[in-house]
Amino acid sequence: MELLLLLALLDGLAYAAQLFMVAVGLTLVFGVLKILNVAHGSLFAIGAYSASTLAALAGTPWLSLLALALAALAVGAIAGPSIERGLLARIYDKEQVLQLLLTFALFMILEDVQKLVWGVQPVFEDAPVRALGPVVVGGIVYTAYQLILLPGLAVVCLLFLVWFLRRTVTGRMILAVAHDREAAEAIGIDSRRIYLLAFTIGAGLAALGGALAAPTTSLVPGVGVQTIVLSFAVVATAGLGQIEGAAATALLVGLGRSFAVYFAPELEVVVPYLLMVIVLVLRPSGLFGGRELRRI
Amino acid sequence: MLSLEEVEVAIQGAKILRGVTLRVPEGGRIGLVGRNGAGKTTTFRAIMGLLPLERGGILFDGASLARWPAHRRVALGIGYAPEDRRLFPNLTVEENLRLPAEALGLAPAERQRRLERVWDLLPELRELRDRRAGALSGGQGKIAALGRALVTGTRLLLLDEPFQGLAPALARRYGEILARLVARERGLALLVSESNPELVAPFVDAVVTIERGEIAAVTRKPGL
Repeated sequence: MELLLLLALLDGLAYAAQLFMVAVGLTLVFGVLKILNVAHGSLFAIGAYSASTLAALAGTPWLSLLALALAALAVGAIAGPSIERGLLARIYDKEQVLQLLLTFALFMILEDVQKLVWGVQPVFEDAPVRALGPVVVGGIVYTAYQLILLPGLAVVCLLFLVWFLRRTVTGRMILAVAHDREAAEAIGIDSRRIYLLAFTIGAGLAALGGALAAPTTSLVPGVGVQTIVLSFAVVATAGLGQIEGAAATALLVGLGRSFAVYFAPELEVVVPYLLMVIVLVLRPSGLFGGRELRRI
Repeated sequence: MLSLEEVEVAIQGAKILRGVTLRVPEGGRIGLVGRNGAGKTTTFRAIMGLLPLERGGILFDGASLARWPAHRRVALGIGYAPEDRRLFPNLTVEENLRLPAEALGLAPAERQRRLERVWDLLPELRELRDRRAGALSGGQGKIAALGRALVTGTRLLLLDEPFQGLAPALARRYGEILARLVARERGLALLVSESNPELVAPFVDAVVTIERGEIAAVTRKPGL
């Protein structure tokens, strides 16, 4: 029993870390641009496929770790500005339903792009996991990649984002635009530049989430769908635009799902959404929503 | 310095400004007076580039602002304090004040000089510098919004209904601040809107009355 509890805890932590990386990008983009980016899952998937391809080419397990970061950086740097400048910048003043439809159309297109580039056969490359080897916790052999690297990076990512937004000039400009775009413009902040930056960071985080998830799973068409749906659940449960809230909720959802796998497997799929429904019924603005002071 | 020429603005199809012509000379102090819904706030937002013009033009130092996006207009030396303050509640008072100078990319020494100008004029803000703007009272927020406008407003200050919602004691204090400002900074132009003309009378050289989006009257102080 104790062994099962420990396993559930370790699995939950690793899963929560992956989930947070994707959810935090989604919530950042929504918090600043006020657009729910359905194509965020595609950026996760493209990040994952690109990372697998680069990791396989890297030659050594240690270089393959570096390849994950490079792949995420490249996808974020190319896809982020292209999508924001090429598509989103044209529809900021349009109705929300149009914005949602546009990102949904982009999601459909990018799903086909993945099939064209990487085919429909599963892609699996675990060299980065092998690079770090195993660790033993309470008699359980676990991968250091999932137990140390993923949660560690998630914590670093959270701390960096909080520091960046609160302590840097650019971060404060992002907060200002997120709170009130017009007032920010009126004091000299170029909101178009801030939108571009926030979307690129969000795209980079989605790609990084995918790149880090790639060595732990077989990549198949549609891999981004499950992640984006779960990320939506995390973001909605936390409250849209809440960064620290997304971390706490990712942990809640990750652990909830993991404990369900070990103790009530028939509930595995439903647990994250059940949490979301309960929270939204009790607090429609989410667990951390409605607190304007804490919004991104 | 600032000229509005036959400005027409519509919001969601409804025409709000109908051929507004208005001039604020260098160092001039103009009161824009009108009832709620007359078009005062729309005039300010049009000047700041926050609303597109349907017709007419806005000139600053004789040059058209048509191609100047909103965020670049403050670089001309314009400071804008909106009616509803619009401070960033998750930032401290000092961060709210520093942000416009940082967004303009001013050198650190110039940023500090402008901040000192604000502290000097509004000493109560210095006391509140570390408080989050979201935790300020309505009156404190109005003064903080004035301070933020002063950071960029080195040539022209746009104050939209600064006295609205202020308790009598705070309105008096705000009036004292404005009186000190106009006495100390002769070259600073001021466009201040109000629904009650008596509140702006002590600080302005002329009162422009706006009704239903049109300039209805211009009254100059005797001797000007």
